[in-house]
Amino acid sequence: MRQFILIIVVLICGCGRQDDADDQLHQSQLLALGTLVDISLWHVDEKLAEEAIQGIDSQLRQFHHHWHSWLPGRLHDINTALATGLDIELNDNELALLQHASQLAAQSEQLFNPAIGRLIGLWGFHSDNPEGPPPPDSAIRKLLQQNPRMSDLVFSDHKLHSNNTAVQLDVGAFAKGYAIDQAITLLRQRGIDNAIVNAGGDLRAIGRHGQRPWRIGIRHPTRPGVIAAVEIQGDESVFTSGNYERFYDYQGQRYNHIIDPHTGYPSKHTLSVTVIHTDATTADAAATAMFIAGPEHWRAIARQMGIEQAMLIDDHLTVHMTREMAQRVELKQDLKSAIEEPA
Amino acid sequence: MSTPQPLHLHASRDDRRIAALAALAIAIHVIEAALPSPLPGIKPGLANVITLVVLVQYGWADAAWVSLLRVFAGSLLIGSFMTPTFALSLAGACSSLMMLALAWRLNPLLPGQGLGAVGFGVLASMAHIGGQLIIARLLFIPHDGLFHLLPVLMTAAVLFGIVSGIISQSILIKLHQD
Amino acid sequence: MIKTINSPGLFTKADIVIICAALLVLPLLYTQFWGNGSQGEIARVQVAGHEPLQIPLQRSQRYTIKGPLGASIIEVDEGRIRFVSSPCRNKLCIHSGWLQHDADFAACLPNLISITVSGRNPRFDSINF
Repeated sequence: MRQFILIIVVLICGCGRQDDADDQLHQSQLLALGTLVDISLWHVDEKLAEEAIQGIDSQLRQFHHHWHSWLPGRLHDINTALATGLDIELNDNELALLQHASQLAAQSEQLFNPAIGRLIGLWGFHSDNPEGPPPPDSAIRKLLQQNPRMSDLVFSDHKLHSNNTAVQLDVGAFAKGYAIDQAITLLRQRGIDNAIVNAGGDLRAIGRHGQRPWRIGIRHPTRPGVIAAVEIQGDESVFTSGNYERFYDYQGQRYNHIIDPHTGYPSKHTLSVTVIHTDATTADAAATAMFIAGPEHWRAIARQMGIEQAMLIDDHLTVHMTREMAQRVELKQDLKSAIEEPA
Repeated sequence: MSTPQPLHLHASRDDRRIAALAALAIAIHVIEAALPSPLPGIKPGLANVITLVVLVQYGWADAAWVSLLRVFAGSLLIGSFMTPTFALSLAGACSSLMMLALAWRLNPLLPGQGLGAVGFGVLASMAHIGGQLIIARLLFIPHDGLFHLLPVLMTAAVLFGIVSGIISQSILIKLHQD
Repeated sequence: MIKTINSPGLFTKADIVIICAALLVLPLLYTQFWGNGSQGEIARVQVAGHEPLQIPLQRSQRYTIKGPLGASIIEVDEGRIRFVSSPCRNKLCIHSGWLQHDADFAACLPNLISITVSGRNPRFDSINF
């Protein structure tokens, strides 16, 4: 009798689920956009992954060259035309990018202002190794008076014209976001729906890590540890603008690369701004704009740009968060925090 | 032409004994299934009391029968057959039995009287939890964060092992007093 | 097989030994699986465009990594890692100091070298900074 039962015992169904071993994760690192780009792909066969990475590599290279802020390239040609009051013909991609930039500029009270290329160059940031001395106040004021803005641009069909010869385009404040969006589109076109593209710390994540969501850590602005953790839902970008990214020190003073278009000087009072949003282009532009807006005004800019989840760390290391951000993100360290009440 | 004879299964005395003990273990298993637990399917294993008593009284083979019958029949009764709960239950039972097999083999070599129900109980209980965690990690919870629970679960396992061992030993003492 | 129980007691000597051994093992499990999950175990050192190096943090050692600007020296000491010297201008990599927890990170961007620390239970798929 026991023998019959033994037969039943032997009939064990060994059906386990083949689950999320990390050998399904494909990771690569590229040098592109002047920084390190980490791409994580989930559950993609080796050949497809390699081809996709190559595709992104050449796409980023092209973008970097095309829109480079100071080296000779297409943007340089566009700027030359605008500075001399001439019309220039744009292709579809260029038109799309610049119109998107105009829209974001308008939404951000021109705090995101890609037309201030001259000002950025004046401060020495059109260089791989920016250094002082800072420009004289008179030069800054002169540029401010000329007041170059995206609204000075006139788009008629595919032709671009500037009403203000002081306009010089520098898309650095949202270039990474734009490029990341393009990379994600490329991945999607190849049927890859679970990935993270991280360029120099700013990232967009789509899909999941197998059975669980992608987990993102947000680093402290000055220390090497992580201060906040977030689980990605669906398709999201996490972007941080910091005063520590590009800067130079001159005679004991630090000058960062995020120039306030209203004052003409590098923004003060903010250490970093982190934004969680769907598309990377908006996230990037918004992070910059909110950084410039500072602890007093960032909330209003967030609302205008349609950003709900954002966090600002001021130069006293106080963490300000929107309510949605506080609910979303797990703040790790012992930081002074303030949850902003909606005005 | 004679009609084909129905097949008669004869239950031996051993079979009946095993069946009775298994039934008892199954009853405990079903009741225990109603209790809440820290993780789905990870149970303290109170039915182990029966297994331990059978082990000391009748040896490892009988204990194995009772234990496995308990897992299979118990899960059929609860309706958890072929579910994750069943897999965890089976994993716990198997690793527990393997540990007991080892301990049973080594027992004669130990000084004094060797292990009593408590010793077997602690070893079985720890192996039970260990087996369940390994299966949970392989099949259900795909990352090592699960092992974060190991210290707490193992502590509970040691406690339950001691408790079920004491209960088993008391039962055995009672049995031998009669 | 019937085993007779000689002693009327609840515990045999061997039982006590087992219990003691189990109680000794428990604290070890706590130190092994609790809290230390975030302690760094391995650092991924990568020169952009090349295969990353996995460096265990248990072995104290210095490493010379060659990037486009020159050699950066990285030091591992008792579970921590840091840049010691680098041919870049700002030396931001060196100023990041010791990295020791899961997800700690430093990079010498001019020399294209990055260090990412992973603990036993890596918590994050990607880091925003």
